[in-house]
Amino acid sequence: MRPFEFISVSNAEEAVKALAAAAPNGKPVAGCTDLLVEIKHEASSAETLVDISQLDELRGISLVDEGLRIGASVTHTEIMDSELVAEHAPALQDAAHTVGAVQTRTLGTLAGNLVTCVPSMDSGPTLMALEAYVNILGSKGARQSSLQDLFVFVRKTSLEPDEIITDIIVPKKNLGKPTVFHKFGLRKGQALALVNAAGSLNVVDGKMADVRISLGAVAPVVIRCLKAEAHLEGKSAGDSAAITEAAGIALSETSPIDDFRASKAYRNELIKVLTKRCVEQSIAIANGK
Amino acid sequence: MEIKVKVNGEEKTASVPPETTLLSVLREQWGMTGSKVGCDVGDCGACTILYDGKPVNACLVLAGQANGHEVISIEGLGTPNNLDPIQKIFETHASLQCGFCGPGVIMSAKALLNRNPNPTRLDVRDALAGNLCRCTGYVKMIDAVMELVENNNSKAA
Repeated sequence: MRPFEFISVSNAEEAVKALAAAAPNGKPVAGCTDLLVEIKHEASSAETLVDISQLDELRGISLVDEGLRIGASVTHTEIMDSELVAEHAPALQDAAHTVGAVQTRTLGTLAGNLVTCVPSMDSGPTLMALEAYVNILGSKGARQSSLQDLFVFVRKTSLEPDEIITDIIVPKKNLGKPTVFHKFGLRKGQALALVNAAGSLNVVDGKMADVRISLGAVAPVVIRCLKAEAHLEGKSAGDSAAITEAAGIALSETSPIDDFRASKAYRNELIKVLTKRCVEQSIAIANGK
Repeated sequence: MEIKVKVNGEEKTASVPPETTLLSVLREQWGMTGSKVGCDVGDCGACTILYDGKPVNACLVLAGQANGHEVISIEGLGTPNNLDPIQKIFETHASLQCGFCGPGVIMSAKALLNRNPNPTRLDVRDALAGNLCRCTGYVKMIDAVMELVENNNSKAA
């Protein structure tokens, strides 16, 4: 492996200082399951790695005033094991379970999955459907960002070189909201998604409300399907024609690619099927089935 | 950089450059070559070890990150004359052919059984999904783990 500098820090402020000093060629690292592979493949220019995996303040899953807080260095395995996540946002556990294989999930972190910013990231759609946001710390101070603003393009986020995510918040209003995630890959383990989908909604007096649909691996970044959501809002939860129409509308909001994993035509079918499935199954959860 | 890691119950130290993985420290500094270099990018699982009790690919752990942590490698399980039960049952079932993936597969199976002594067949498949084997087709490995589970259960009963 080519040489790089490795810096251990004792708190998040120190991490930010070290990244500012190394900008633009510094990178925060935790699980290393993506960045180290990029370095080994000579696909990263990082010269200074700042290790944030040992920082207590970035750990832990807890209920806070704003909602469910997931620390930036929480791993996929920790999400799968968390009773709080099971109670308040179980779809996040379904998503975590589809990441890589056991070894990757032990090391890989939720925040790492977001900042790597590949379109097929498994954590993105569910978090986006739950309107999760991230808290960010940088030289200029702390700020918040929605996931829509965080994801800029394939492997590009809006984070400055001296900024790190400190935690991910699932807002209180969406805790316990019926939410379903589906990943379709060519195998169950060690496979990238052909399409990822998440749906989230409430059923109020028999009508769909607060409908959220998010898709991954169908555009340069994970997206919300705002038109499909709007089509369903206020419609009867039993209106299967509307759900089928919404799946078609969701398709019109995407731009999937043709590649060696699947053709565009196949992904188009998956988008419709998975969108429909997520909405229908969210309704079933809302109706207590 | 100087690192200190507890490996198979013993404190080990090494002085290595930052761009060193835990896998290469284990193999090249400490002479433990049971963990294999397969893909070296976290796809194949041949370097699976227990890191603070959980399965990871040692090729993706930086030496500097491992400082202060605890590792169990395949060398920490059994000896040729006193095999760990999981090693013994793999032998009985002839679960390995060329054997290159074996240490990683066995460490993944061990991690599963430590965590869940009563897994389903699907749990076993999930636990071994990160370990590639190009010889066996996996069936005999899964059979072996399931038989060990059944043996343990009938002893307990």
